[in-house]
Amino acid sequence: MAAGPRADRRDFYEILGVPRTATQDEIQRAYRKLARQHHPDVNKDPAAEDRFKEISEAYDVLSDPQTRRRYDAFGPDFRQVPEDVDPEAFQRGRAGAGTGQARGAGGAGGFGTGLGGDLGGIDIEDLLGGMFGGRAGRGFGPIPGADQEAELELTVEEAFQGGHRSVTLEGPDGRRTLDVRIPAGVTNGQRIRLAGQGGRGSEGAPNGDLYFVARIAPHPRYRVDGRDLYVDLPLAPWEAALGTSVGVETPRGEMKVKVPPGTSTGKRLRLRHHGLPHPRGSAGHLYAEVRIVVPAKLTDDERRLFDELAAVSTFDPRRR
Amino acid sequence: MGYALVLVRSASLNLEAFARATGTHPDLVRRLVALGILDADRDAAGELWFAPSQMAVMGRVQRLRAGFGLNYAAVGLVADLLDRIALLEAAPREARRPGR
Repeated sequence: MAAGPRADRRDFYEILGVPRTATQDEIQRAYRKLARQHHPDVNKDPAAEDRFKEISEAYDVLSDPQTRRRYDAFGPDFRQVPEDVDPEAFQRGRAGAGTGQARGAGGAGGFGTGLGGDLGGIDIEDLLGGMFGGRAGRGFGPIPGADQEAELELTVEEAFQGGHRSVTLEGPDGRRTLDVRIPAGVTNGQRIRLAGQGGRGSEGAPNGDLYFVARIAPHPRYRVDGRDLYVDLPLAPWEAALGTSVGVETPRGEMKVKVPPGTSTGKRLRLRHHGLPHPRGSAGHLYAEVRIVVPAKLTDDERRLFDELAAVSTFDPRRR
Repeated sequence: MGYALVLVRSASLNLEAFARATGTHPDLVRRLVALGILDADRDAAGELWFAPSQMAVMGRVQRLRAGFGLNYAAVGLVADLLDRIALLEAAPREARRPGR
């Protein structure tokens, strides 16, 4: 049977999202729906497993009219109440004492299951082990835990340098904090595996693994494509025309880039192997993308010189 | 706690060893191979060999069966669909291009 009740336990009806007056059919429908959403093989979120177990345990109790009556009468600690205490009598006593509680509409009516229903008092789902978690181990033996996946958002700098990140996850025993080692040169979509930190196996079966899927967050300066980095390189028209040498910000610090004369917007200047490193190969490149920027307001001198240039130049950027 | 990347064992398992490692019956394992749910290689002597990755597949089969009361044919279908969804979900993540 399931583990002993915890003090902070939520109400079973609340967990399944049904009113206390729900019929057995409604309870089963709610359970099936939630189980499909939170099954650890369908939902890779590390929090889903506990939610699934909670749902299974709630269903375990509420799907059996007998246990449900006892739960309604005695509350979350119903397992501590001796079997021979009559729930109805207990509840009448409580109602009389002025602590009336809504009574569940329990009862054996309508207790059908998708697998053939009630067979002379034996729930066929019990025989087949209709779920694990709450009823783990009935005929299924040890079952290994499912792999789980969580997204890990990294900055470009973290992907470049690698490092450690403390990640807190909700777990069965409250929150747990994991120290995740981020290898230098991790790329978008790459998975970092934490062996044995996934879903728990039942009856001593191994736990699943937990995978962190790296996602590199948008950066105000860098755009990331695989291991290549792209950065804007704004140039004045005369710098682009005459050529120059300018400083470009890279994750490794500022680098000098030679801009050849006659460089137009859109031209990419490559800094070989200055992109994200590759643990087992060559690093990506860093591309400085030229963008020609003109002054919003010209001084008198600038205007005079541009006028002069316009008069002298035969250059037509639209000529085919 | 610190975790390093873990090396995957590469040794194959024969039917008996696989069944023992996964806590299942060899007959069930054979049946799942016949249904195409587990992948196995057959050697010259006709014996089945399983890659260690198949242990995770077996775990999923057990969980899906236990969680939903599915029969094994349905488990195969669900497992295939889950794999396809995982592929589809991973594709846009990897194809995400720089923002312009």
